Amino acid sequence: MNVRSDAVDVEQIMRQIRARIREKRGADYTEAELQQLATVKLETFLDPRGLRSDLVQSFRQKQTAAPSPPNFAFEADTLFETHRGLLRAIRGLLRPILKLFFNPDRVTTALNLQSQINTQAEQRLRRIEDREMLSYELLHNMTLEITRLGIEVHNLKMRVESLSSRVDFDERRAKALEGVVQYRTPPPPRQTSGGGVGADPAPGTAPAAEAESADSANGERRGRRRRRRRRPGSTMADAQGQDWSANTQGGDDVDDGGADEGPADAPESSDPTDQ
Amino acid sequence: MKLAVVVQRYAADINGGAELHARYIAERLGRHATVEVLTTCARDYVTWKNELPPGEDTVNRLRVRRFPVTSPRSPERFGTMSRRVFDHVHSVADELKWLDSEGPTSPALVRYIREHEAEFDFFLFFSYRYYHAWHGTRAVPGKAIIVPTAERDPAIGLSIFGPVFRAARALMYNSYEERALIQHVSQRKGPGVVVGVGSDIPERPQPGRFKRKFHVRGPFALYIGRIDENKGCQELFDYFQRYASMHPNGLDLLLIGSSVLPIPQHPRIRHLGFLPDADKFDALAAADLLVMPSRYESLSMVALEAWALGRPVLANAKCDVLKGQSIRSNAGLYYETFEEFAEAMYLLEASGPLGAVLGRNGREFFRRHYGWPVIERKYLDMFARLKHEPVPALEPLPGWFARRSRTIRPAASIVAAAPSGAVRP
Repeated sequence: MNVRSDAVDVEQIMRQIRARIREKRGADYTEAELQQLATVKLETFLDPRGLRSDLVQSFRQKQTAAPSPPNFAFEADTLFETHRGLLRAIRGLLRPILKLFFNPDRVTTALNLQSQINTQAEQRLRRIEDREMLSYELLHNMTLEITRLGIEVHNLKMRVESLSSRVDFDERRAKALEGVVQYRTPPPPRQTSGGGVGADPAPGTAPAAEAESADSANGERRGRRRRRRRRPGSTMADAQGQDWSANTQGGDDVDDGGADEGPADAPESSDPTDQ
Repeated sequence: MKLAVVVQRYAADINGGAELHARYIAERLGRHATVEVLTTCARDYVTWKNELPPGEDTVNRLRVRRFPVTSPRSPERFGTMSRRVFDHVHSVADELKWLDSEGPTSPALVRYIREHEAEFDFFLFFSYRYYHAWHGTRAVPGKAIIVPTAERDPAIGLSIFGPVFRAARALMYNSYEERALIQHVSQRKGPGVVVGVGSDIPERPQPGRFKRKFHVRGPFALYIGRIDENKGCQELFDYFQRYASMHPNGLDLLLIGSSVLPIPQHPRIRHLGFLPDADKFDALAAADLLVMPSRYESLSMVALEAWALGRPVLANAKCDVLKGQSIRSNAGLYYETFEEFAEAMYLLEASGPLGAVLGRNGREFFRRHYGWPVIERKYLDMFARLKHEPVPALEPLPGWFARRSRTIRPAASIVAAAPSGAVRP
């Protein structure tokens, strides 16, 4: 802020000051800032460590039972009541004289009405207190429920991520396998007891051809099949990961780890009994 | 011409705003007329206890007559009555009880005024809200001039003051804002002028002497007055501490005056206690700016003194009078929030030329409006004018039953509904 002139205007300076304050503070939040603020608050609120499970108990402890406000039943004779019979009789006798000075019925009516109003007010107060308790419990339960749901959503998100990564892995693995099978050089022709197939199989048809030969080779070679087993402490995903690694890095020699689908065992892998 | 200055307390060492104002005016008018001061024996404005001897006295060559207060103020009763009349529907009788509970109740003073009316040309009643001003004006309405020193507090909304304002011959206002408020609540149409009060500013204040005496190094903002929550000091402390944390190498805050509020232990806040006038003016001359955090002021004499010495003022904008004076003088900034306080303080601290320009404006404003020749002339002109003005009739108090009828709106709501803000003449 520059003050250049001798003829300063205090109001102008104050306007500039207020403009600067507005500029610093920022009049509006962007949508992203609002989302960020909302997220921060929600996360804080949903933090299960910060949640007190004894809120309702605390509230109940603090709720001291308020004593009923004093009230009374006011009838026409209340003003003249006494436990002394003689005095009551004298008052009864003098009542007409009293009425010469003022109208006690109005007072009685007003006080009777007030008594009824007091009773109603107390009942209303009790209802409000009960409702307040219910509202508090409702709020508390909602807080718990939101917290629980928040945690559940979080877990579900993690599961979805895990599953999607598995799906992704499977897709890539499938594509890789397809490529391996497609470009594999056909094995040299072998004499089989079944005969009947003199020509080399066309690329891409090797599994079928070998399947046929495998069928004919029968159980002798089936005994040599090695089945990969999971190592102790490793998961299925680990095992699959190792397979994938072997597939991608080892080229055609995928049998090293003992996978069923290895090219060396391709005829066997095409055996429907292995699927 | 013989004048009576009627005020609730009077002594050379009483430095309350209205009392000092009355003393300055009495001493200045004493050069043009015979002035007698009529006051009570009280020194303490809270209890009104009789501490000074009744009878005649002389203060700075002026004759002073003191009258005893019949009973000291009871804070409980005054508090109860204040709540009743300020916050609830009430009666005229309630308001009169409030006036009695506020004090200083001195029927002897009012009796003297009534009995010696013929001896004086005019009675100048200072502070409309006290017993002496209300009863005194009703005793001699044809010669009563009120110097209201009114703040924007609920008392101005009480119905008993309307007839008194209307009956007075003239009102000598402290500010345009005060005039607007009183005219609104009382519907007064009679003579009145915005005068204020001057001050005895030393010719050559010595800022260097002050700095040496109190070991002050570096720039500082100054507060002068009673250090009280009602004067906005708590807010000032809060704001200044936040400001100090934002600007670690900025100016300090020096406080002058008696304290009824704990002062925070902060390396940049210093309390120097109550100082004599010479030190006060030296401090003002040495300060970079004066801070006025009070919300309720009818006229800040210390702000005028700061302007007279060419120092800018940072005032609380919630006080209409201070804000209005800052705008009219072009000699001070004002704040409503901490952000405004910090920005304005930083601007005054960091921009040397601005402080100098504002100070120059303040000096000129003081010279033009609050120099003693100007003040004295306004009073003398008013006395001359009143000799030709008709005397308004005093409205009688309501009857016995009407006085007890609880139909008057709470005074606080009346004041809240009155127009507010700085007045730009």
